[in-house]
Amino acid sequence: MEDGALDIELEDPISRPRVSANKRRKIIGLDDLLTDFYKEQSKHLEKQSKREKPQKSFDSDDDDDTAQNSKEALLSQYVVECQQKMEEISSDDDISSWGMQVFGDQKTPPPLKFPELQSCSLLNSFQKNELNSLVELSLEKGEGFLEGLLINGWLLKLALTCGHVEQSIATWTFYSMNEGLRSSACEFWCAILASNNKVDQTAIRIDWLPSFAELKRALETYGFLLDSTSNVLSNVEPSHADSDTEGPPQNIRAWIKFVAAACQARSKTTMFSTVEVEELVGFLICFFLDRVFQGLSVQLHHSMVSALNYFTDEEWCLSCERISNLLSSRVPKDLNCLRILECISGPNARCKQFRSAVAYQLIITCLDGKVTDTEDILKSLISINVKDKSCDLFKTYICLVLAENWLLFGSLLEEKPYIEEMWNLCLRNCSCQITSTDLRLYASKVRNKASYLLQEK
Amino acid sequence: MEGPKSKRRRSIRNGIEENTMAILDSSAPNDSQDVTDDGIAFLEAVRSSSLLPEDGTPPSCKMRAEVFQILKDGKSIELIMASYQLLIELDKRFPRVCLTDVNKADSSMGEPLELAVSKEDWVPFAFGTGVGYADRDAADEKAGGPIDSQGFQNLVQDISNMANGRDSQAENIKFLGNMLLFQYLVNILEGDFLPRNKVYEGTMKWTLLRESLINMLLASRRINYKSLMKDCLSTLLALCHLPAGLRTDDLRSENDASIRQNECCNNAVAFALIEIGQDACLALQRLLVMVMELDNSRKTADTHGLITRADGVRTPLVEIIVDELTYDSDMLSKILQVFCDPRWKLDIALQYFSKYAAKPSVHTRRSNGSTDDKTFSGVLKCFSNNTSTKSITKKLNPVVAQLLLAHAFQASISVSLESCDEGISNSKDKAEGSSLMDICKNLISAFRSLRRTDEHMRILPLAREAIFTAATILSTK
Repeated sequence: MEDGALDIELEDPISRPRVSANKRRKIIGLDDLLTDFYKEQSKHLEKQSKREKPQKSFDSDDDDDTAQNSKEALLSQYVVECQQKMEEISSDDDISSWGMQVFGDQKTPPPLKFPELQSCSLLNSFQKNELNSLVELSLEKGEGFLEGLLINGWLLKLALTCGHVEQSIATWTFYSMNEGLRSSACEFWCAILASNNKVDQTAIRIDWLPSFAELKRALETYGFLLDSTSNVLSNVEPSHADSDTEGPPQNIRAWIKFVAAACQARSKTTMFSTVEVEELVGFLICFFLDRVFQGLSVQLHHSMVSALNYFTDEEWCLSCERISNLLSSRVPKDLNCLRILECISGPNARCKQFRSAVAYQLIITCLDGKVTDTEDILKSLISINVKDKSCDLFKTYICLVLAENWLLFGSLLEEKPYIEEMWNLCLRNCSCQITSTDLRLYASKVRNKASYLLQEK
Repeated sequence: MEGPKSKRRRSIRNGIEENTMAILDSSAPNDSQDVTDDGIAFLEAVRSSSLLPEDGTPPSCKMRAEVFQILKDGKSIELIMASYQLLIELDKRFPRVCLTDVNKADSSMGEPLELAVSKEDWVPFAFGTGVGYADRDAADEKAGGPIDSQGFQNLVQDISNMANGRDSQAENIKFLGNMLLFQYLVNILEGDFLPRNKVYEGTMKWTLLRESLINMLLASRRINYKSLMKDCLSTLLALCHLPAGLRTDDLRSENDASIRQNECCNNAVAFALIEIGQDACLALQRLLVMVMELDNSRKTADTHGLITRADGVRTPLVEIIVDELTYDSDMLSKILQVFCDPRWKLDIALQYFSKYAAKPSVHTRRSNGSTDDKTFSGVLKCFSNNTSTKSITKKLNPVVAQLLLAHAFQASISVSLESCDEGISNSKDKAEGSSLMDICKNLISAFRSLRRTDEHMRILPLAREAIFTAATILSTK
């Protein structure tokens, strides 16, 4: 190991022209390929025409045209071939992108009946009120009336002014998030939980709180594929779906917001254990991998940050490690694992630490768990011979980005200078040992990434 | 000491700019996936150089303009989301306008605050016709450039049109992009206006507000202020119908469409449309509230003689809204339903009352009478006996009266809850002088006298809910 590292060090000064920003090319453009190809072809043509020339002298003048025509035909044939080749190359280049199927078929939700709603004291106490001559409220139509109260925001105002949410109302509103009332019901819950979170305010008494099991069950009916039976996600398959039940229902938006509100409310209303919140973080990060959620990234991000901030500082150390382990066992080692790192993008210290920790776990599993400590990881990265034709550049690229995240978001580089040296060596290997004309897939990606990181220093 | 350090910083910054911009310098611009990948890589690079380090420097104007351009281009859902989030975060981290405490040690109430405006910073707007802007226009021409007042109005109109129907997936993404762009612009306007207004309230320096972006937008001669406000109202209505329309049309028809490979993208768009539509709806309200706050400050400036002819004349927004709503009771109900800010909701309802139900003053004390119908309790008093109630219902359709009462009541509950939160009794409160309990009692008696004037009057569901709420609050306290 030591020797290998030394070898490269020796080689270094020669093979390391300082890459300057304007000289650097991002990728070899198709235009470049085309010009190269044309140059080659024109040389070829020239040779051919030279060879043809002696024959030509025997021909009559009229044949000049035909010769010209055949030349043109040949050229156009080359152009077509060239185009085909370029298409091949570009379709090869159309490398996989991230995306997982996180939600499958929705299940039919259990029918919701709320018989206890008729006995709720909110409606019952009003029956005796002489104002009922104006309101004309009957218990049979109680649920419809409550829906109006919920949608028009009165129920929330009542909860906030009276400081109490009775059990039947709490369960009804929670399960209504599955139905047409979801956005009102979600707003109601988020508002009462947020109100309880305010300092110097008497908390609203909520007689029933949903548990983690309830939230998990909801996900299962939405078709979440990461249930107790399967713990690994599958890559997204070409959609065969023509049903409305494929993919998560719209309720998932309410679910995401509810999780955020519930996690933020910890100081006054504790609903989950730390292990459960670890699970929730795991779920939320998996959502990021489903392209269906692209448009919800603001909400997802908010939820994830709320869940991360749920932990106390003491809990966090252990939980951070456990979530990272959980994720590294679930996420395939391809572009998806880079995607989740991009999603952990908060600027606060905890997010950065988390991102670094997840990257660390991922890189360990990427290197097949053979490595155990930081030096080993870097040594095995340095030992990758990118010049070798059989080198898996895709894996190299993944490892490179993982290492970038692990090192730059963590504090290791500042703490241990020799780590930085090893990292630099690894970057120089990748940026200098791959030539700009290397046509292998991911060659330019690895090279560009490494030289960009070197320049950023 | 300062010189070389900042010079070094700038050169580092230039280096970063060059490297980062190079990411976008793709030679294969036709492949959409490549464009997305390069764009995402660029945004990530900007993020990691500016937001991640503790002492990160803001990205250069060129880089910010490029991020903004990616949002404006709206090429894919991935790109618009990422660029929008990055812009918002950059703004949070490096605000252009911020408050500085004059003496930090004693930041108790009443201390004058000072405004710090960084002049160099990039702004997505170009209002006015100043010479300074001419250069900027030329420089930004290539990158698409900042938005002027006409562009802003066009954006609002586009959102309204697209909310009413879109023909293709590309239009869906464009629609999403427009809504995010609008939200970002409102964010910028707010970040500029709120601190200025705060300082104005303490110092009465009207120039601060005159130079605010929102004021420059409204005062721009390129657009008609009133028509912009009306566009905002109709867009607000169009957006609040979005979820209902989507449930039946987009979600189903997208699934029925023959294009199957875009299934995932379609779903993503359907999800995003509802969520982002709601956010855009809130952003529109924030814009309207901002204009109303500006109107308020302008009024106080006017009483101090600070408004000059250069400031022009402008109808307060509340008046415009009330005028618009008078023609259309359906619109009245929708706007009151969708409008969240309780103070301004109350104000709109009260203005409506005072305009159309202003009764000849019967008060003995003039000082009291002139302000009475400007508060909700004042309005409720008008409904306290049969004769005055009758005289109101002659001018005001009972359905409208019920709507206004119910919404004003709901807004007063929120206002009283808010002032509870703040722990201070704001003397400007519209609900001032009467507790929530009194309001509940008076609301009930108002509905009783309405019923008495017309035995067959149908009580609206919303009004029934309001009475129920008032009665329940009274019985629990």
